[in-house]
Amino acid sequence: MDNVLIIMTSGPDTPRRCATPFFFASLAAAMDYEVTMFFTIDGTLLLKKGMAETIYPKAGGKPVSDFLQEAKEAGVKMLACTASTELHDLKPEDLIDGIKMVGGAAMWQIAEDAKTLTF
Amino acid sequence: MANVRGCNLPDDCYYLIEKHVWAKPAEGGLIRVGITSVAAKLSGGKLAAITVKAKNIGQEVIQGKSLATVESSKFVGPVPAPVTGVLVRANDKLANDPNIAVSDPYGEGWVAEMKPSNWDSEKATLVTGADGVAKYQAKLEADNISCS
Repeated sequence: MDNVLIIMTSGPDTPRRCATPFFFASLAAAMDYEVTMFFTIDGTLLLKKGMAETIYPKAGGKPVSDFLQEAKEAGVKMLACTASTELHDLKPEDLIDGIKMVGGAAMWQIAEDAKTLTF
Repeated sequence: MANVRGCNLPDDCYYLIEKHVWAKPAEGGLIRVGITSVAAKLSGGKLAAITVKAKNIGQEVIQGKSLATVESSKFVGPVPAPVTGVLVRANDKLANDPNIAVSDPYGEGWVAEMKPSNWDSEKATLVTGADGVAKYQAKLEADNISCS
């Protein structure tokens, strides 16, 4: 099994950068890669309850929450960087379900055995 | 050839209904596989790509595991293998025009050919003929899917 790590730094300020990373994650999962998304900097804001539903990468298109849900259903694991939640004053209960909070070292450990992309 | 809820479902294909893929014996003991007209509809009707993972060619793919991927603006997902077998070749025509899998899913738009590992026993896990089409119809009705 090959591993893929997608580091998501883009957030609500750049909606057009917020769909493709999830799409690529779902695609990699469909190719039988083991896929992890690590959310840090502004990417973590996408995991705030209710936030992804309000962000539209394309006017009239699907909200980011749809892309996020599809990635979860495809089996993509999602991790939030603890320090970035502090940056945005987010508490664990502010995040959507199914997100594990980890430190930066966890990201490096996954990256040791994974192809890594940053968005 | 049967038309069920607007979906074209030939009765000479073997279907893995849950995954919306078909298999059919081809020349040289190979099995040709592809997506059904139902899968084409569910993926949005206009595809950006169907890609067989090159690394898988020459390797055995287990029934139900990802054989290829389908991408459209509305959907991304796997094309699961309808049978277990060694992936022999992909349909090169899909690289130029993935939408032949929509317009002609059982003909020009086939996805791959496999050398089956145990076709004789595994085909019992698929459905075919008039009975198979009826079972597929029941699934479409249960899930409220139509192609029209």
